[in-house]
Amino acid sequence: MVVLRHIRRPVFVLIIVYAIGITGMALIPGEDADGNTEYMSLFHAFYFFTYTATTTGFGEIPNQFTDTQRLWTIFCLYMGVVAWLYAIGSTLRLVQNPHFLLALNEHQFANTVKRIKHPFFIICGFGDTGSLLARGLSDNWFSAVVLDIDPERIKALALRDYHVKMPGLCADACIPKHLVDAGVKLDNCKAIVVLTMDEEVNLQTSIMARFLNPDLPILCRSTSERHSEHLSTLGKVTVINPFEIFAQLLSMSITAPRLHNLNSSLVHTKGIKLGRPLDVPTGEWIICGYGRMGKWLHKYLVKHGIRPVIIDPEADEIADATRLIRSHADLNSLREAGIEHCAGIVAGTDQDHDNLSILMMVRALRPEAFTILRQNSHENQVAFDAADAGLILQSSLTTARRVLKHLISPQVQILIDYLEGQGEELTKQLVDRLKARIGENQPNLWRSNLCASEASAVIEHLNSGRRLTLGELIRNPYDLSASISCIVLAIQRGSLRIMLPTDDEVLELGDEILFCGTEHSEIMLLATMNNTYTLDYLITGIDAPRGYFFRWVEGLRNEKKSWLE
Amino acid sequence: MNLERVVFGFVIILALSFTFTFVMGDIDNPAHHNVWILTIAIIVNLIGTGLKLGDRSQVGALLLASSLVADVLLITARVVWIIAENDTEFGPSTSSMVNIVSLSGGALVASIVSIVILVGDTLISRR
Repeated sequence: MVVLRHIRRPVFVLIIVYAIGITGMALIPGEDADGNTEYMSLFHAFYFFTYTATTTGFGEIPNQFTDTQRLWTIFCLYMGVVAWLYAIGSTLRLVQNPHFLLALNEHQFANTVKRIKHPFFIICGFGDTGSLLARGLSDNWFSAVVLDIDPERIKALALRDYHVKMPGLCADACIPKHLVDAGVKLDNCKAIVVLTMDEEVNLQTSIMARFLNPDLPILCRSTSERHSEHLSTLGKVTVINPFEIFAQLLSMSITAPRLHNLNSSLVHTKGIKLGRPLDVPTGEWIICGYGRMGKWLHKYLVKHGIRPVIIDPEADEIADATRLIRSHADLNSLREAGIEHCAGIVAGTDQDHDNLSILMMVRALRPEAFTILRQNSHENQVAFDAADAGLILQSSLTTARRVLKHLISPQVQILIDYLEGQGEELTKQLVDRLKARIGENQPNLWRSNLCASEASAVIEHLNSGRRLTLGELIRNPYDLSASISCIVLAIQRGSLRIMLPTDDEVLELGDEILFCGTEHSEIMLLATMNNTYTLDYLITGIDAPRGYFFRWVEGLRNEKKSWLE
Repeated sequence: MNLERVVFGFVIILALSFTFTFVMGDIDNPAHHNVWILTIAIIVNLIGTGLKLGDRSQVGALLLASSLVADVLLITARVVWIIAENDTEFGPSTSSMVNIVSLSGGALVASIVSIVILVGDTLISRR
């Protein structure tokens, strides 16, 4: 509408100029070839004026013009050209107006979002974490809508090759209008993930989102206690604190190394092999850098009775620390902290080169110490890959993984928590079973819904009143006595949750099954679940006839058999 | 071993063989092509189509489609033969014969497609 309002005046000018020119042309008498007076028809006048005003100039038709007509033609030509220049100029000015472009962009963005038919997520903040998350979502065929204040990042987003549509808008996420444009009120918006670097912006965005949609799950990254507390009062908010998550994981690797190993291999952490847990020592520890990461690690280490030596130039007095050395981490301070006999060391400053240089010193002074390295910037990935530390905390990666787990397979986290509660023995059994099925392959997680669109054959089978057990479903079609290389981790049946079900578990309509296995087995299973004949073969072990004729023959044979008996 | 696979495999390979037998020879020479073999090829093909009715798998659908194509082409060739029967005293004229044999050649391709699908499916489901 704004476009029409803007070009109203140029259109009026054009109409008036055309009207004057055409009327004049039609009123001025001309002469035909014989010298008789003849007036130009209105249609001819319009035709003539059209090509004159646009400077095309086809010549004088239908007859040679008289001088009066030529005089009028000169007038028409200049007037028409000026009117057109004016009209085109003001349209161009409108198109070049940055505010107009912005409005147009927002409008297009909102329309794109409205056209998304399947479930999608909103990501506010497209930095390291946001782009990792978007990549993860795309790998799982989920769409996301991205809001970021930095136009460069939105331009970068447009150049990524995702499997799905990822519309992006350069806008301040705190402003409710932009959240609405991003689809916060739409039914198929499944969650909003707030990941900007500014805690205050995160909080405000979460509050706005909560007001706009009271039921929408919010995932917000926050490393400050004050903001976290405020966020948790909003309801249905999951606060993601990468440092706390990392400290929990470290704690898990001390108390439940096998579970930590399983968890790491499920999220495909580099350098982790299933069944080979980390050996995190519990002797003397040194923490270099007492920032957000240092504080959280300290808190969790103290829980395990470890009282670390802390090296930080600015830290205040710390309770529960063996010693506090107020210095930068260099050779002297490390020696003073007792690096020659320490068991583990945390290089946790907020400078990547400092952390790497601490690592180099540790290598020289005490190569057998367990090292935990903090990586601040995704750009330094290659250097950190080469560093070969015991554990690496990359805040953006930790956040993205946790968000992804939460959005795509919340069951995995529930399973991990369940296993943590059950003790290490169960984890060991599970890992052994998993290893027996998949061997050295990388474990892959996927979820299947027993619904018509994902498992048509299973649905048909269950609807016909027959039963189906888990063991029958994952039987190997090439070898009926074995299973395909996957195991079932959990089944969600309505509000009932079955952890680590056995092969005798009877499946029901609408079950949501969490599988873990090789990628090949996922394809095999998908084929089984959608092919009636394969499914029947798995259950009965008989390749049943398919065509009408052979089914009829089979019927006759069975009848004869029962008649003979 | 599966009775359905044996019978169906036999029928469609037979259909391919008969079609091939008919197509063999100079394309425009009526003496090289026997109308009886064409008719038998049609009948065998139709039986194959009938056997595939009722299979709801993807492969079954493809097999049905390709054998339907063969049916249509072979029957068209036979109809052309009937029309051109009395062109000359030795049977169809050269131009009609070219039409008939090239139609049957099309049916031959469809039969080959059927067999490729059948063999592929059998190899994939090694059981």
